[in-house]
Amino acid sequence: MSEKVLSIDKTTVQMLDKAKKDGVETAWDRKEILKASCGFGLAGVCCRNCTMGPCRVSPVPGKGAERGICGATADVIVSRNFARMVAAGAAAHADHGRSIVLELLHTSPDGAIKVKDEKKLKKVASRFGIETEGKDVYDIAHELAQAGLNDFGRQYGSITLPPTVPAKRKETWEKLGIVPRGFDREVVAIMHSTHVGCMADAEEMLRMSMRCALADGWLGSYMATELSDIMFGTPHSRPTEASLGVLEDNQVNIVLHGHEPSLSEMIVQAAEMPEMIELAKSQGADGINLCGMCCTANEATMRHGVKLAGNFMQQELAVITGAVEALVVDVQCIMPALAKLATNYHTKFITTSPKAHITGSTHIEMDEEKPLETAVGIVKEAIMNFKNRDKSKVVIPNVKTKAEVGYSTEEILNKLDGVVNSQIGPMQSAKPLADVIVAGVIRGAAGVVGCNNPKTVHDEGHLEVIKGLIKNDIIVVVTGCAAQAAAKAGLLTKEAKELCGPGLKKVCELVDIPPVLHMGSCVDISRILELVGTTANHLGVDISDLPVVGIAPEYMSEKAISIGTYVVSSGIDTWLGVVPPVTGGPAVVDFLTNKIEEWVGAKFFVEPDPHKTVEQIVERINEKRKKIGI
Amino acid sequence: MNLFQTIFTGSKQALAAAEGIVKQAVDEKGRDCKVAFPDTAYSLPTFYAATGKKVTTVAELEAALDVVRSLIVEEEMLDKALNAGLATAVAAELVEAAKYVLSDAPYAAPCAGFISDPIIRSLGVPLVTGDIPGVAVVLGECPDAETAAKVIKDYQSKGLLTFLVGKVIDQAVEANVKMGLELRVIPLGYDVTSVIHVVTVAIRAALIFGAIKPGNLADLLQYTSERVPAFVNAFGPLSELVVSAGAGAIALGFPVVTDQTVTEVPTLLLTQKDYDKVVKTSLEARKIKIKITEIPIPVAFAAAFEGERIRKND
Repeated sequence: MSEKVLSIDKTTVQMLDKAKKDGVETAWDRKEILKASCGFGLAGVCCRNCTMGPCRVSPVPGKGAERGICGATADVIVSRNFARMVAAGAAAHADHGRSIVLELLHTSPDGAIKVKDEKKLKKVASRFGIETEGKDVYDIAHELAQAGLNDFGRQYGSITLPPTVPAKRKETWEKLGIVPRGFDREVVAIMHSTHVGCMADAEEMLRMSMRCALADGWLGSYMATELSDIMFGTPHSRPTEASLGVLEDNQVNIVLHGHEPSLSEMIVQAAEMPEMIELAKSQGADGINLCGMCCTANEATMRHGVKLAGNFMQQELAVITGAVEALVVDVQCIMPALAKLATNYHTKFITTSPKAHITGSTHIEMDEEKPLETAVGIVKEAIMNFKNRDKSKVVIPNVKTKAEVGYSTEEILNKLDGVVNSQIGPMQSAKPLADVIVAGVIRGAAGVVGCNNPKTVHDEGHLEVIKGLIKNDIIVVVTGCAAQAAAKAGLLTKEAKELCGPGLKKVCELVDIPPVLHMGSCVDISRILELVGTTANHLGVDISDLPVVGIAPEYMSEKAISIGTYVVSSGIDTWLGVVPPVTGGPAVVDFLTNKIEEWVGAKFFVEPDPHKTVEQIVERINEKRKKIGI
Repeated sequence: MNLFQTIFTGSKQALAAAEGIVKQAVDEKGRDCKVAFPDTAYSLPTFYAATGKKVTTVAELEAALDVVRSLIVEEEMLDKALNAGLATAVAAELVEAAKYVLSDAPYAAPCAGFISDPIIRSLGVPLVTGDIPGVAVVLGECPDAETAAKVIKDYQSKGLLTFLVGKVIDQAVEANVKMGLELRVIPLGYDVTSVIHVVTVAIRAALIFGAIKPGNLADLLQYTSERVPAFVNAFGPLSELVVSAGAGAIALGFPVVTDQTVTEVPTLLLTQKDYDKVVKTSLEARKIKIKITEIPIPVAFAAAFEGERIRKND
C-alpha cells in the first residue's frame, strides 16, 4: 500500500516520522485504526435520542427501513442530529462568552484583569443602552457585564443585536422568526425539540438551528470578542512567527492550547516577570518561550505576537518534538490523547478548567479570584520541568515563517484611513473597502475559517483555497486553524501580494497590508460579521447582496457547524470542504443547499475539492456583483 | 454599468474613432504619406515608448491599430482595465497623429496641440528641482468660468504646470486667465484626444530624463508613477471615453479627481464636489507637498508669473 500524503506541512510530515520512531500514536493513526466510518453515522441517519433505539434508517429513500421506532423519518433524524451539532457548537461559544462576561463583571482597578480599552468599553456599553457620560469606567464595565449576562439568560423579548446588523437583515430574521431570544434558551430549545416525540419537521428543526446559531454569531461570539478586547486590548497589527520550528532549543517551551484568552493573558504576564525569567535561567535555560496552538494561540498572537506553534492536527506533534516543558490547556478542541502521549515524554500536560478535566493530566485549576497567581504557578511547573528534558529525544523542525497578525476590525479601519484623502474623508469608515469592491479592483471578500480534519490532507484545503482566491483578486480574512495554516505558509506577509491578482496586489500596496488578514480566533469570526455588516450598512444594502463568502475547507467541530449556520443565516454563502452528516436526508440537503437561499439569500455549498471550490466562489461572486450592478 | 465595463466601452469607442480617422488618412493621403509630430525625435511618443517601434507612414499608422486592439481584453480584472486605458491613450495618439497628417496646422491659438521636444527639455530642470512641483491636467467643463479660473490660478500660484483640455479652455479665456508656456498654463485642444499631448510630455520625460528604453512598458509606467508628479482633474459629465482615458492616466500612476459621482477607487479615482477643495485634494492624492513662503502682497506671487508680459492695456 502506498503511503498516503497526510499533510502538506513539512514539519508535520517530519514529526509524524518521529512519532513512528518513538512508537507513539497520533490522530492519523487512530483514524487508520478506526477503519471505514459507519455509513449510517456519516449520512446522519442514526438516532440515539431514546432507549427504544438506537435506530438507523436507510439513507436511500424507498429502500430498507424508512422510519425509526417512533416513526421519525430519515429527514427528521438528520435534522435533529444537525440541530444538536449546532446547539453543541453554539453552547461551546456561549460558555466561552459567558466566562468572558463574568470576567468583565469581576474587573477592578487593582485586580489582575483590568479594563484596557476604555473607548471600546464605552462603544459597546452604549449599544446596550448604558449611559457612559461621567461614569466610572468600572461601573460601566460591570453594568455592561450585567446586560450581557441578561442576554445570555433572557427569558422574554430578544437579544440586543449590534448596530452592524443591517436593517433589512433584521427584518428578514423577524419575518422568519429567527431573531434569537436568550442565548442559553436557544440551546435548551433545541435540546427540547430534538427529544423523542417532539419536533418532527425537518424544515422547522433547521429554522430553530438557524435561530440558535445566530445567537452564537451575533451574541455569544460577538460579546466574547468585544469584551476580550475591552479587558485585554483591541488587537493591532504586529509581527510574529509560525510553525513548529518556533519551539526553542534551549528555552523553557510553554505551549498554550485551547480557547479562552484569560488563561493565555495571565500566562503571558507571568512569563514576562523578571523573577520567572531568572528562575528559568537558574535551571539552565536561556529564557521562557511561549507558543500557542489553536484559538488560544490566535488570541495571544493577536494581542501580544505570541508565536504560533501550529494548528489542531499538530497539537500532538508539539509534544512529539520532545521540547515542550508544559502544554497548558483550558477548553475545546484539546485531544484527550495528549494525556497518554505526554507520558512518553517529559512534557507536563496541564489542564486548568473545571469544564474540561482530562484523565491523566496534571490539573491546576484556574483560580478566578487569583488568576495571575495560578498562572505563575503553572509557569513555575514548566520551568522546573526543564531539567527533565531528554535532549537525545528532541527534534525541533528547522522551519519558521514570518507572519503579520492583529487585524481587528478597528485595525482594518485604521489601515484604510491611510488611503483616505483628508479633503474628502470620512475617516474610520469602511468606505475604501466598499469602494474597491464596487469598482471591481477586488472582486469580493472571503472568510476562510475552520479546523483541520484527517479526512482531508492537512492544511491543503486551507492553502489551496486561499491561494486560489487571492489570485482571483478576492481578499481573504482568516481565523482559527485556517489562519495558522496561512501563517505557516507565509501567506500572512506583505510579500504574499506577489501571489495575488493585479487588483488585490495594488490594494495591498496602497493600504500596506498582507492579502490575507488574520482576524483572530473562532469567536473572532464575529469580527468578520462586524466588518461585513459595517460595509453593507455603508452601501445601504443587505449582507446577502455583497460579494462575500465563507469557507471552512477542513472543518471538523460542532462549533464549525454552528458558525457555518450563522454565517449562511446572516446572508453569506458558505462552502464546506468536508461533507456534513446530512446526506441521508434529501429534504435536509435540499434545504441547506438550495431552499435556505429563499429564506436568507445564501446557502451551503459542499465541495471537497479546493480548486473547484475556488471556481464556484468566483462564479458566485460574479453573479452577486451582476445582481447589484457592480 | 460597472466601472470596468465603462472603461472597456470607452476604449472600444476610442478604437472606433481611431479606425475612422486613420481610414480617412489612408483615403485622402495614401498609405505612403509621412506621419510625424512636429519637432520630436520620438515619433509617436506613446506608441514608441510602449512598443519600441516608430511610426513613419500612414501604413504604419494603420498597422498600429492592432496594438490598440490587443490591449483591449474585456476581462474584469484591474490589469485588463488599466491596459484598456492604455489602449485609449494609444488610440488617442493615433487620432492626433492622423490630424497632423490630414492638416498641416490642425491646431490654432489658443490651443497648443503637440508639445515639442525643446519645450519638454526646457521643463526638465524645473521639474527635477521641484521648481515645478506638479503637473495638473484640467479637462472638461467647470460649472462656470469663475470656478475654472479659481482652480487654474490656484495651481498657477503654486507653481504647477497646468494643461487644459476641452471647454475649460474657453472658460479660462473668459475669466482672463493668462496663459502660455512661460505662465505654466497650456491649453492643448478641445477634443478629448488632445489630452494625449500631455501624456506624451510625461512619456518623453521618462525617455529623455529617465533613459527608459522604448518598448519597456513596465519600467516606463514605474518611472511616470514615481517621478512625474502629474494628476488629472476631470470636470463636468464624464463620457465613457473620458473614463477610459482616466484609466490610462491611472495606469501611468496619475490619480484622477472629478466633480462627478463615480465609482471611487481610493487614492486613484476620487470624487470631490467642493471646488474649493479640488486643489488640496489633488495635491494630497499625488502626494505633492509645496513649500510655501507666503508674502503678504496684494497680487499672486509665483515662479509661474516670471515670464509674464505686461501689455499696454494692462
